[in-house]
Amino acid sequence: MITAPTIEYFALAPLLIIFGAAIIGVLVEAFAPRYLRRAVHVPLTLLSLVGAFALVILQTVRGVPTTPAAMGSVAVDGPTLFIWGTILVLSFVSVLLINDEEQFVPSAAAVPGSAEEEKAITEGAAHTEVYPLALFAIGGMLLFPASNDLLIMFVALEVMSLPLYLLCGLARRRRLLSQEASVKYFLLGAFSSAFFLYGTALLYGFAGTVDLLGIRERLAVGGGGTETLLLVGTAMLGVGLLFKIGAAPFQAWKPDVYQGAPTPITALMASGTLVAAFGAVLRVFWVALGNDSWNWEPIMWGVAALTMVAGSILAITQTDIKRMLAYSSIAHAGFLLVGVMAVGERGQNALALSGLLFYLVTYGITTVGAFAIVTLVRDPGGEAWHLSRWAGLGKRSPKLAGLFAFFLLAFAGIPLTSGFFGKYAVFRSAVALGEAWLTGLVVLAVVASAAAAFFYVRVIVLMFFSDPSADGPTVVTPSWATSTVVGFSAFATVALGVFPQPVLDLAEKAAKSLFVQ
Amino acid sequence: MGETITFWVLAVVSVSAALGLVFSRKAVYCALMLGVVMLSLAVLYAVQDAPFLAAVQIIVYTGAVMMLFLFVLMLVGVDSSDSLVETIRGQRFWAVVAGLAFAALVALGVGNVVFAPAAGLGAVNAAGNVPSLAELIFTRYVFAFEVTSALLITAALGAMVLAHRERLEQKATQRELSRERFVKYGEEGLDPSPLPGPGTYARANAIDMPALLPDGKISKLSVNRYIARYEAEEGTIDPKVAEILEGEDK
Amino acid sequence: MTTHYLVLSALLFAIGGIGVLVRRNAIVVFMCVELMLNACNLAFVTFARQNGNIDGQVIAFFVMIVAAAEVVIGLAIIVTIFRTRRSASVDDASLLKY
Repeated sequence: MITAPTIEYFALAPLLIIFGAAIIGVLVEAFAPRYLRRAVHVPLTLLSLVGAFALVILQTVRGVPTTPAAMGSVAVDGPTLFIWGTILVLSFVSVLLINDEEQFVPSAAAVPGSAEEEKAITEGAAHTEVYPLALFAIGGMLLFPASNDLLIMFVALEVMSLPLYLLCGLARRRRLLSQEASVKYFLLGAFSSAFFLYGTALLYGFAGTVDLLGIRERLAVGGGGTETLLLVGTAMLGVGLLFKIGAAPFQAWKPDVYQGAPTPITALMASGTLVAAFGAVLRVFWVALGNDSWNWEPIMWGVAALTMVAGSILAITQTDIKRMLAYSSIAHAGFLLVGVMAVGERGQNALALSGLLFYLVTYGITTVGAFAIVTLVRDPGGEAWHLSRWAGLGKRSPKLAGLFAFFLLAFAGIPLTSGFFGKYAVFRSAVALGEAWLTGLVVLAVVASAAAAFFYVRVIVLMFFSDPSADGPTVVTPSWATSTVVGFSAFATVALGVFPQPVLDLAEKAAKSLFVQ
Repeated sequence: MGETITFWVLAVVSVSAALGLVFSRKAVYCALMLGVVMLSLAVLYAVQDAPFLAAVQIIVYTGAVMMLFLFVLMLVGVDSSDSLVETIRGQRFWAVVAGLAFAALVALGVGNVVFAPAAGLGAVNAAGNVPSLAELIFTRYVFAFEVTSALLITAALGAMVLAHRERLEQKATQRELSRERFVKYGEEGLDPSPLPGPGTYARANAIDMPALLPDGKISKLSVNRYIARYEAEEGTIDPKVAEILEGEDK
Repeated sequence: MTTHYLVLSALLFAIGGIGVLVRRNAIVVFMCVELMLNACNLAFVTFARQNGNIDGQVIAFFVMIVAAAEVVIGLAIIVTIFRTRRSASVDDASLLKY
């Protein structure tokens, strides 16, 4: 006789709403006539995101549960709710971008450049499947940082990744590049998830369970002569997770994939996936392996240093605007990793966690805004991807170039932008630990930020102080959705740069309870 | 004792098959090698008190996954053997070095761990392997089980997106096709009847056997050009076929 | 015996890893990834017996489900890119037309 499992439906409601909406989306694909599909999908997707966000707020107000839900698989705690809220907001703006322009192929099965594809374009065919696929990916993103055991984390990783592999290959222009990005992302992603899985296997061998809390308890007991399993397992689990956040030396996929994917999807990956993956990194390294920090911190130190240096230096040589933003994302992952190592006793952990959460919000919002602007600057063949094409944009459309310059300054972390306070919050927590090795890393991070600022400023100079070429790119008039995205991102970047306190307070409140332990 | 023998036999088989997967140039051999590894692992699962997994391994991996691989290989061309040109110099060498170092590290690390005697699954499996698994899947891991449905839906939807072509125009009817053929006959003199199939009137019926005309000559229309070209390269082409094709290909 | 099984699984995993890095054909690379996943499953099953709880077998079961879904997506992507790249020479595929 099996006793029925107890499932806390209220705690899991945001997840269930997203998955439910995705499944309804699939049914819409199956049964709604072609001309109606888009009209159903867009409100359905946006409403489900809003609904899930409302439920997250409701839960925050009603009090955060202190035990894991769904038989111990999903931990809905303070940080999870904060991360969920962040991901839902970022997904909402990304979906506005997805909805906005014809960024996707009319028919993925048609060979690029064939008569069939042209016919599909003139007929106005469209893959409305991108909405349910995006919802599945968002559902995976929500589950990934909330997973309380390594099995569900692995499943969530795949639920998040599989739709993204597909969506990467659906760019309407530069099809070959897009398909190549899809294959690369898929093969490398599958490779890295094999490492994640082997690490899981070794930790299971060590602890006898894949439950994060179980591993923590086993670590506290210690002994048993199987520490080798723990060490190798931690390393391999780390490879899988660090790949997802694009830390060096596992960063190679990021520029290629960001460049090839349709820009709205790039925005979703650069914001949502990064936030989700960082949540998962924190949960694994703080909750499960928290008692083992002296073992993983030296390696993490090296990875963080390498990541920020590689991200900042390689960005300088880039000529493609999306590749440049990808390298900037790599550098930011390095800065965020600094905060992951700032663990100590409880108060210190809360400080580091709140800093990281705040940084993730600011970076996510700014990066969506930057990618939204990239969609607006067009050449006849699509987006004006080459940096040289952006020369003199400040003279042609000063407003747009000004906004882009503002986002770049936020990436660089100039005061009065949100990026400044994000970096400040993370670095402050690292210095507060008072360990020389971590303070040294903060110094390195500040130097790397300065180097990164150099290439951001170079782009700004290019936009404002060189003459526009006669056949330069056109700036399309943004639709209401894109204007909303750009406006929202710009507003948030300013607001968080001038009055960061409300969100900082929120992050602190979320971080105070720490993860369920 | 029985387990030790099984292990050593299958360990040798699976490692050599895995090496074969990495080093054989033809993709089909790779797929078959992978099938061998999967079958050996299925037996090893059965030996280790996991009869259900052994069955699932055979059904899902060798039955479904391998078939899908072979299907795709046939679709994209069996001949597509790997090029041996290195795109990054020294990459292959360093990959092998890194892989061997990794294997040595893990094998030595794991090999040096002193395990307590295996706890064994006798007690857990007492009620039967499948009921015990079912209990865990539907209680402790029930949410993971539910979430995998999202994966399966994604897979189905994704395959549809990438492979399904919407028909954008009406399919031509038999009548239209037939009319088109006769128009072509009138304009260009193309034969409106279908091509003769291979092997018609011949002694044997095979794809490489051209059809014969009533007077015993070979019908040029029925010669499979692809096979003929291959046979010409190999030097095994039927001289009569070669004669028919001569003067045309050049 | 646990050690034996684990060393075998590590070897298979490493061979798969080498294959991913060495091979150029996308389908073969993907097969090597599958080999790595199989090696993981062997480790799970072995540890299940070592630890005396059946969780490892459940995880191996889930890995198989996930791998099946991944194969569908992966092969669909690979077929799409193959169709694009090869589009110039259709005459070589005339064998199936007869």
